[in-house]
Amino acid sequence: MNTKVLVAPSPHVHSGDSIQKNMYGVVFAMLPALLFSFFYFGLGALVVTLTAVASCYLFEFLIQKYILKTEVTINDGSALITGILLAFNVPSNLPIWIIMIGALVAIGIGKMTFGGLGNNVFNPALVGRVFLLISFPVQMTSWPVSIGLTSGYIDVETGATPLAIIKEGLKSGTPLSELTSQIPSNMDMFLGNMGGSMGEIAGAALVLGLIYMLIRKIITWHIPVAVIGSVAILTGILHMVDPEAYAGPVFHILTGGLLLGAIFMATDYVTSPMSNKGMIIYGVGIGVLTVVIRVFGAYPEGVSFAILIMNAFVPLINVYVKPKRFGEKRK
Amino acid sequence: MTNKENFLKGFFKENAVFTLLLGMCPALGVTSSAINGLGMGLATTFVLIMSNIVISLVSSQIPDKVKIPSFIVIIASFVTMVDLVMAGYAPALHEQLGVFIPLIVVNCLVLGRAEAFASKNKLVPSIIDGASMGLGFSMALTMLGAVREFFGAGKMFGITLFSENYGMLIFVLAPGAFIALGYLIAFINKLRKA
Amino acid sequence: MAGKKESTFINMVLVLFIVTLVASAALGGLYELTKEPIAAAKLAKKLKAIKEVVPEFDNNPSEEMYSVEMPTGDLLEFYPAKKGGELVGTAVKTFTTNGFSGYIWIMVGFKPDGTINNYSVLEHKETPGLGTKMEPWFKTTDPTKAKCSILGKNPGTANLTVSKDGGEVDAITAATISSRAFLEAVQTAYNEYNKKMEGGTK
Repeated sequence: MNTKVLVAPSPHVHSGDSIQKNMYGVVFAMLPALLFSFFYFGLGALVVTLTAVASCYLFEFLIQKYILKTEVTINDGSALITGILLAFNVPSNLPIWIIMIGALVAIGIGKMTFGGLGNNVFNPALVGRVFLLISFPVQMTSWPVSIGLTSGYIDVETGATPLAIIKEGLKSGTPLSELTSQIPSNMDMFLGNMGGSMGEIAGAALVLGLIYMLIRKIITWHIPVAVIGSVAILTGILHMVDPEAYAGPVFHILTGGLLLGAIFMATDYVTSPMSNKGMIIYGVGIGVLTVVIRVFGAYPEGVSFAILIMNAFVPLINVYVKPKRFGEKRK
Repeated sequence: MTNKENFLKGFFKENAVFTLLLGMCPALGVTSSAINGLGMGLATTFVLIMSNIVISLVSSQIPDKVKIPSFIVIIASFVTMVDLVMAGYAPALHEQLGVFIPLIVVNCLVLGRAEAFASKNKLVPSIIDGASMGLGFSMALTMLGAVREFFGAGKMFGITLFSENYGMLIFVLAPGAFIALGYLIAFINKLRKA
Repeated sequence: MAGKKESTFINMVLVLFIVTLVASAALGGLYELTKEPIAAAKLAKKLKAIKEVVPEFDNNPSEEMYSVEMPTGDLLEFYPAKKGGELVGTAVKTFTTNGFSGYIWIMVGFKPDGTINNYSVLEHKETPGLGTKMEPWFKTTDPTKAKCSILGKNPGTANLTVSKDGGEVDAITAATISSRAFLEAVQTAYNEYNKKMEGGTK
């Protein structure tokens, strides 16, 4: 018999965690939001999601096999997450060829250029999304208005997101109190009844995913709480200073994919800090940048830019805020 | 080094943009189209050759401590000449390149060649060096401009290849310059190794 | 290198003096030489913009230019175009500060009755692919997009604001702010133009 005796360094007790297990856990947590978007945007959502996931797998396979000539690791589930997240971040009527470009950029530039899973500095799905947003601003900012399951794919009515309505209104000098009639109520926004990208509209479904991931210990609470908390505090202060010029915290939390970003994209293992303290710094950074971009910047929406910018700081945070070594005594 | 080697080095072995990473400011700033890149490259080539000529002739008469100020004045004069002539005779291109023409003064490439080559060499090699470096720089800028124009606007040297609606705007904007430059350098390095 | 000059004070001063003297003399000469072509190129550019927006004329509009100072301190410039001594149109160089990225300068041409003849965008910093579309957008001849064009309309009688604000013009897709700013600049030009025409100064 050909028995190998393995000698591995400690620890010898394995929790059973693996890349695959955690990745599919994340996918499971995304299911409520995904199903919700199918229900909400109909056929378009399905087409977009399938295209995004399939192209992510395809490009990852092609790049690993023919350009890098390394072992093909498409089964680790990370391409699936990137694909779904990319689909979550785009309108459900986006043409197929644009989605494929997004997937190519996400996998090719966002991940493989840096050396594959584990080496990427930036969240691949967000790299793809921001690339598309800057490249195809018209297609990327015409959000379909939902008419339920029967929604078609291309010929759908489009409308602006609540954030864009507020931003444009405030910029042309309309006071906030007059704009509120144009945007959905807080409850509608929490339940997903508004214009937006596929994954950002369903606040309730996203929170469901968060609870699942916390229970399964796939992620810890630090990043989502730090992001959402800092956005709430900052917009709360601004709103108190001038309620006519700045929207309140509830509005900011429920719109523009803040929940999606805080729960699923900021928490990506590879591109977030390792220690709990580091995660809080990182989360607060994302929250502050999001508010700054939304309130003072040119774009109505800032979550994806904020996460990408903070991604770049993660190595620095890891250097200064190290996790405690196992067995090390606190000073 | 023979004259031929001297002339060829600027295109590949010591290419200003792809190898030395000099002159990044115009390389990223003006290359939104191939023609802009070419125009900028040729303007820089002119300045390089002229300043190399003058500096190789006069450098023996310049005391070390005022070497840099003198070189800068010489370079700045030629840059201003290019600026004036362009404004008069090629106003469209001048407007496109805008502030980047005066900025040739602070292009590290020009001062770098003056200091590293022309001040230590005779007239003829200095001319060849200026031409080689300048044309290599032009080639790099034109390549970068062509890539960005192609992906960004679906054109090449202003000729439409596919509808602009399919262009990726990011390549016309600043981030696209960095992405295109990064991949071009990677590509050239790959060629070099092969 | 042999014969290298020592870095003495006299040497340094002398060398720098000679270098700057020669450089400035050369530049001064070249400046004189290129002064005229540069002025001609600038004028040609301006005339081209004027020609684009008003009907054919035979006078020199830049000579008859008059201007109005706006609250921001910038000047609105009026270029009357005449043929055979009769006014055929006025090109107005107008601007707005409300573009997506600040100032937008356009040249808009009015016929004597106040309808818009044509326009051309002179300077802006709008987002490529979005706001930059204003050059072709508002003068399209595509009949399916009739609501986009402002040519032949009179800002005094037609409501030239974007349809979102209750106006008659369809904004550029996904660039409402740029469209709004553009139309504002046109309106400013018309208001000032109208004041002048009614005041009978020209």
